[in-house]
Amino acid sequence: MIVKCVIWDLDNTLLSGVYLESGTRPPAADPAMRTAAVRLRDRGIIHAVASRNPPAAARHAAQVTGLDFAAVECGWGRKSDAVLKIIEDLGIGPDAVAFVDDDLYERAEVSCAVPEALVLSPEDLADAVGWPQFSPAVVTAESRRRGQMYAQRRRRQEEARAFGGSRDAFLRHCATEVTIAPATAADVPRLHELSVRTRQLNTSGEAMAQSELRQLVSSPAHQVTTVRLSDKFGDDGIVGGCVVGCGVGPGAGRTWTVTLLMMSCRAMGRGVIDALLAWLARSAAQGGAATLSVPCLVSPSNVPLRLALAGSGFRASEDRSPQRPVAVFSRPVSGPLPELPDWVISKVAGR
Amino acid sequence: MTGGQTRDVLGELREILARATGRAELLGIGVRTPLFGAGAGLDSLTGTLLLREVHRRFGVDVAQEDLNLDALATLAALAAFIEERAA
Repeated sequence: MIVKCVIWDLDNTLLSGVYLESGTRPPAADPAMRTAAVRLRDRGIIHAVASRNPPAAARHAAQVTGLDFAAVECGWGRKSDAVLKIIEDLGIGPDAVAFVDDDLYERAEVSCAVPEALVLSPEDLADAVGWPQFSPAVVTAESRRRGQMYAQRRRRQEEARAFGGSRDAFLRHCATEVTIAPATAADVPRLHELSVRTRQLNTSGEAMAQSELRQLVSSPAHQVTTVRLSDKFGDDGIVGGCVVGCGVGPGAGRTWTVTLLMMSCRAMGRGVIDALLAWLARSAAQGGAATLSVPCLVSPSNVPLRLALAGSGFRASEDRSPQRPVAVFSRPVSGPLPELPDWVISKVAGR
Repeated sequence: MTGGQTRDVLGELREILARATGRAELLGIGVRTPLFGAGAGLDSLTGTLLLREVHRRFGVDVAQEDLNLDALATLAALAAFIEERAA
């Protein structure tokens, strides 16, 4: 399992001293930890803070390390509760986090309460930078900026809590922009990365190799599409993509089949998956198809995808078996189609 | 199952829905208003929060039992689904 997030203690771990005991000159960053953290950030691993300090300590740590924290839990409760809260906030698995603390007791407490997490001393962490758990195979522009995008997400969520209106009104208020465009060879590493990392909004549950994606991008019988997302808080880059088999030649293409659909959980709640499904239905209709099909591995992890499919008018056939738990969700595209919100920009010719 | 118990489930569901969507006005949503789309604006994120809370409070795993999530059509459908299983 690849570590997606490192959760840091501050005193004598990420900071070289104790924040509350340092008077008017708060401690500097620990040089070894800062170096390790920056290297991990550049590999797309995000950082968070779990500290027995006031929130100002985390702001100070962000300043002296230059890191963006995706989540911050400052308080005097149990460290394991802070770790679990961060896991829930970020929507990642407990086996995708590492926890770093200089205090043996805190490490034992977190190990005991969150056995899936990788629990490390600062010395371990300096060494662990070379371990496979901290070495994702592909690093893209999106992954290097991941910490920054989570920090933007925190600001967006705070504003959403204060906003009050409907989701769509908030998306409009944020100047949300979804751009749907044909994938090029340059997008293949990011699409591969999405196929590895996404679970909640993913139809297949299996990674797709870069070689296969490259072939599909140049195949005349397939459409490979990227979805970009940005708003006034920042640019998330490519957050999703899909592969559609639309057939060639006369008689082919009455059914368009989405063989892979995937989207980052950062895009959840921001109307992007609904926009993509609406766009696919409209594209299939314009391409002369009668039905749009989405074969989908049904698992407890991709319930959010089934919610999106149900909300966009797809129905599943019940032909699953324990050997092959795939259901085919489909919808007609000859009748009324879902509306495409006006913040969606389609860069695919003719649609 | 009596009418009184039905109202309790609906009341709790309205509260869960309002909390999941962050919209207090949904405390007054009609039992036949569609939850998806323009009705209550349920989406993949708020739907997941709602299903998790329903599982926690009523012990009913809707996603596990209902492939098409028809139980999420309206609050009336969801309450009936829960009551059938929790009875």
